Amino acid sequence: MKYLLAAALLATCAASAQPAGSGSKLPFVYTKWKQFTTENGLPNDHIFAVKSDGPRIWLGTENGLAMIDKASGKVKSWTEKDGLPWRVVTGIDVDKKTGDVWLALFGGGLARFSGGRFEHWHQMNSGLVNDVAYGVAVENDNVWVATTAGASRYNTVSREWSVFTEKNAPMEEIWNYGVNYRDGKVHLAVWGSGVLEYDVATNRWKDYLDPDGEMEIDLYRDDGIVHVITTQANYIDKVLWVSTYFGVCRYDGRNWRAFYNKDSGNPSDFNNNLRARSGNEAWFATDKGLGAIMDVATNTWVTYTRDPKSKTGKAVVTRDKTVLETVEMGLNLTHNYILAVDVEDNDIFIATSKGLAWGVGEGYYGGLRERPRALASNGRASK
Amino acid sequence: MKRLVLAMLCLAAAIGQEAKKPAPAPAADPETQEVLRRINGLSPYEVPDLKLRTEQNYAHTSTDVEPFGAVKPYKEHFLVQMEYTGPGRAVPEPVGLKSVRIGFIGPIESTVSIATGGKSHEEVLGKMMLKGAQLAVEQANAKGGYLKGRIPFEMAVANDNGLWGSTGNEVVKMAYENPVWAILGTIDSANSHIAIRVALKAEVVMINTGDTDPTFIETNIPWVARNIGDDRQQGYLLVDYMIRKMGYKRIGIIRASNRYGRFGVREIKDSSRRLGHPVAIEMAYKVGGDDFSLQLDRIQEMNVDAIVHWGDARESALILNQMRARGMKQPYFCSDRSVSPEFVQAAGANAEGVICGYPWDPDRKDPKLDEFRRAFKARFQEEPETYASHAYDGMNMLIWAIQQGGLNRAKIRDLIATRAKPWPGVTGAIPLSAVMDDAGEVFLARFGQGRWKYESRETLQIPRGFVPVRDRTSRGLETASR
Repeated sequence: MKYLLAAALLATCAASAQPAGSGSKLPFVYTKWKQFTTENGLPNDHIFAVKSDGPRIWLGTENGLAMIDKASGKVKSWTEKDGLPWRVVTGIDVDKKTGDVWLALFGGGLARFSGGRFEHWHQMNSGLVNDVAYGVAVENDNVWVATTAGASRYNTVSREWSVFTEKNAPMEEIWNYGVNYRDGKVHLAVWGSGVLEYDVATNRWKDYLDPDGEMEIDLYRDDGIVHVITTQANYIDKVLWVSTYFGVCRYDGRNWRAFYNKDSGNPSDFNNNLRARSGNEAWFATDKGLGAIMDVATNTWVTYTRDPKSKTGKAVVTRDKTVLETVEMGLNLTHNYILAVDVEDNDIFIATSKGLAWGVGEGYYGGLRERPRALASNGRASK
Repeated sequence: MKRLVLAMLCLAAAIGQEAKKPAPAPAADPETQEVLRRINGLSPYEVPDLKLRTEQNYAHTSTDVEPFGAVKPYKEHFLVQMEYTGPGRAVPEPVGLKSVRIGFIGPIESTVSIATGGKSHEEVLGKMMLKGAQLAVEQANAKGGYLKGRIPFEMAVANDNGLWGSTGNEVVKMAYENPVWAILGTIDSANSHIAIRVALKAEVVMINTGDTDPTFIETNIPWVARNIGDDRQQGYLLVDYMIRKMGYKRIGIIRASNRYGRFGVREIKDSSRRLGHPVAIEMAYKVGGDDFSLQLDRIQEMNVDAIVHWGDARESALILNQMRARGMKQPYFCSDRSVSPEFVQAAGANAEGVICGYPWDPDRKDPKLDEFRRAFKARFQEEPETYASHAYDGMNMLIWAIQQGGLNRAKIRDLIATRAKPWPGVTGAIPLSAVMDDAGEVFLARFGQGRWKYESRETLQIPRGFVPVRDRTSRGLETASR
């Protein structure tokens, strides 16, 4: 009885706190979008990778590398005829120190685009562990490559290669899918082996596995990563974000929190990729649209989808599963099947299976606020 | 060179039939016609309203062997079929093709395999798989090939039995360099997992006919199907036989130290524990060895009631012979790989009474099966076994989907994914589950009087636990203990 009373009291407090706290505040919604497809000069519409690099946007497609000049909107592209070592580009990262563009090639290994020419590393001429590369990340002088048979690290100064597999890292499986570096830690999303964290300072590994150890269930929502088949991991503000084909989750160093379609605004549990903007905001590339958690504490999301029959789109703001607002707009995403996301400054870049969508973040703000008037004039908001 | 020869063989078979007028495209049943109506004529942005398979129970799992059965899980996966929501259905059918290429990837050449525990060892299985697939292609070509285009089918054959990751390179080639419309393969589950990761990215359907690793299909990929009963189903049946029917309480496991052995026994271990009889001992051995005394010493010390082996036929026979030589009389249970002439020959009289899980019933009376055996023997001068038979079914499923859906990878996927009726295969009816896994019945193969006899749960009167009709997250916990 005592517990019942306490629970009832807590529930009452929570309910009354909602309107007074975040209840009337809403997240930023992108209503200004630009689209790029083969009609604008992209070599291919199927875009596996996107990387915003100051005045440029780099795109890895199923048939070539492309670069969009942000100021002019002009597209330049490179295919195998132009020296690109292999047509399918699945990962891109830029070395901020040198400006070199590093490319993960799907079946072609690793390439560096520097000074207008390509250099190529593959299984037969280097220490790259496998040519089926899914992701690439620059870490100081090193370049990490996530491949289907382990991870490789290339030191661009010493030209030394290191290989990480089940023999020298806690990889239950070696099927690497995503790699990212930030704040002294490399994170590998490994299909069947969860997330591996490599501490650059200590050279030590730490693994994050699904605590229930079962493929067919998630026993408790917030006990760890939602599933061992992971697709991407991002670390920012000392928060680890993880995407999987079964849902997504977040770890702040103390507590895990999982988000499923059934309890959040994420449009699908099938997440191809993710990009975190902060510890409070992350973007998920799903097979049914773009999901963005904009405020963790209140589980507030914005979901972007395009209408399949018209050149219009919408954003739906939700809290838990309650729709707070629907913002109708012109064309936003180029397709609802999304493969990758990038974020830079106020803008977002969405790689889809049918072109690139660029969300222009004029007036962007993080978290929740009273909605600025400018947003309502760009989109048509309705409850 | 081998690929070239195979391609030429298939083409030659087709050319031989060139003079014949092609038969009309096979008529689609009403359900298939409805799927075609929904997937044809879509823009790249539209997703068809296909009836997704929805199930209430994953893999016919009884409540008493469900993981964490006393707890209601927050989320249960694999009950609703995955969709493909990309733009692929709008890609037009190409013109001017000289053949319709279907990929085959399997262990057909001897090599070194870190993935499988050292020396490669699955070529004997892979070669039979190739023959089964080849026969299906040749028969389709004899009937006119790809009927809409009057062009032959051609198999693009690749070996996967290399170092870890080589499968990925091969599937990339099939997806992009010399494109295929669909892929059949493979056996080793490490290679299978690598292959399906590529198939997902490249958006090409892959049907697996020889990998019984339960986790293969538990990856939530909408581009993957399997037409062979997996080790989860075989494991459930073996456990039900050993524990529920025979009352064995102490089971020992000896298995190959590779992925096949590790994942193959997982459901046996888990189910035994959940039924209150945890496996007494599990010993792994390195594939290719001849002496199992270390493992058998330990197992013998544990005084077990029955022994389960999960590995290849060669090691299975060696272990059995060494067990019997040291006086170990426990019943011997194995995975389906022991159901082979190699095992019987090497085990000799010790094979008597051995029981194996088996993914189908080769004793079934079925004219299709008889005709397949006749055709296979005529073509290859040998009897088809399980890998050939399942590959024959798998390739026929792909050919059917291509004939119905046309030359469009997404539509080929849709046809496989939405097939309403079980596939009438030579290995039996193949109903696909929500995760596009073979949800059909599995069997026990018992060796006696010089032959294997295949018996069902029903004929052996093997009891099973309560299989609920509600999913775990929406039903009460009370059923968990029934």
